[in-house]
Amino acid sequence: MKNSQLYKGSLNTIIMKLLEEKGRMYGYEITQKVKEITKGELKITEGALYPALHKLEAEGFLEVEVEKVDNRLRKYYKLTESGEKETVNRLSELEEFIRNMQVLVNPKLSY
Amino acid sequence: MKLTSEQIERLYQFTRQHYVEYYDLQTELTDHLANGIEAQWEQNPNLSFEEALQFEFKKFGIFGFMNVVEQRQAALTKKYHDLVWQHFKDFYKLPKIIGSLVAIVLLKLFLETISFSEELIITSFVAILLTFFGGMVYMKYKNRRKTRVSGKKWLFEEIVFGKGSFVGYIYVAICVFNKIPRHFENDYTIWIFSIMIVLMVLLEYIMLVKIPKKSEEYLITTYPEYKLT
Repeated sequence: MKNSQLYKGSLNTIIMKLLEEKGRMYGYEITQKVKEITKGELKITEGALYPALHKLEAEGFLEVEVEKVDNRLRKYYKLTESGEKETVNRLSELEEFIRNMQVLVNPKLSY
Repeated sequence: MKLTSEQIERLYQFTRQHYVEYYDLQTELTDHLANGIEAQWEQNPNLSFEEALQFEFKKFGIFGFMNVVEQRQAALTKKYHDLVWQHFKDFYKLPKIIGSLVAIVLLKLFLETISFSEELIITSFVAILLTFFGGMVYMKYKNRRKTRVSGKKWLFEEIVFGKGSFVGYIYVAICVFNKIPRHFENDYTIWIFSIMIVLMVLLEYIMLVKIPKKSEEYLITTYPEYKLT
């Protein structure tokens, strides 16, 4: 992931936001979608994505569905009810963070 | 170009070679690698399967699948602890709380009336620990046999059947055990030990009987693919 330290804390929020929009997604699809939206600027590494998905699942924010696609099994993730509520919270937190950072980094904008 | 069934089998084998023991994780990683390989073939159809696979695997970094496996284990252990805790809380809600409280009071009264209460407490602690340890070993053995037949290992199943952190449980018990005074000075100590014994028995009942009994149900909610395979 580009400049990973800055993005690290937002990985879960990015995943949840995508799932909120798309309904359900599988791991590979998430990595590709992020790449596509950010035009390759932001790449979610495989080694970080699955741990994040599994953690969110264990916390009850995501649930899984498995389907046979082609000749293999595919695991889809989607938000649970509590996951949907959590997404709203985390997004507003992130937005607030961005606002604060903008004020800090570029104080003139606040006038 | 799509992957053949043999190539999918090779991917399962590849994950096993890279220390992914559990079928649930193998399946997810296999699908991931397969998607990556197919995407590469779209760009460059001449690429060999093995080359494309190595390229995809490199994306997981120098530790390969290790981090994914470790974190999955941590996540599912947490899930298991939450499950134990939920069951435990059930015993402290109506109507079950009546039973729990009555058990504590009866035990306390009993310990008060007998002359060998210290010995009895020590024996009960040892007995509880031995049963717990024995039960865990037995469950592990039974599960290993089942795994051998099916050829598939499920991480959550292993945690439920003996891989849960019973080491921690034993540690707590030993600490308490060391603190048992030789002679009880007051009423207060007997209360504490009555509560402790009832709590330990309850925990043991949940971990050895209740959860394993419903294991199939928990496994299906954790792994929808459990039914498909």
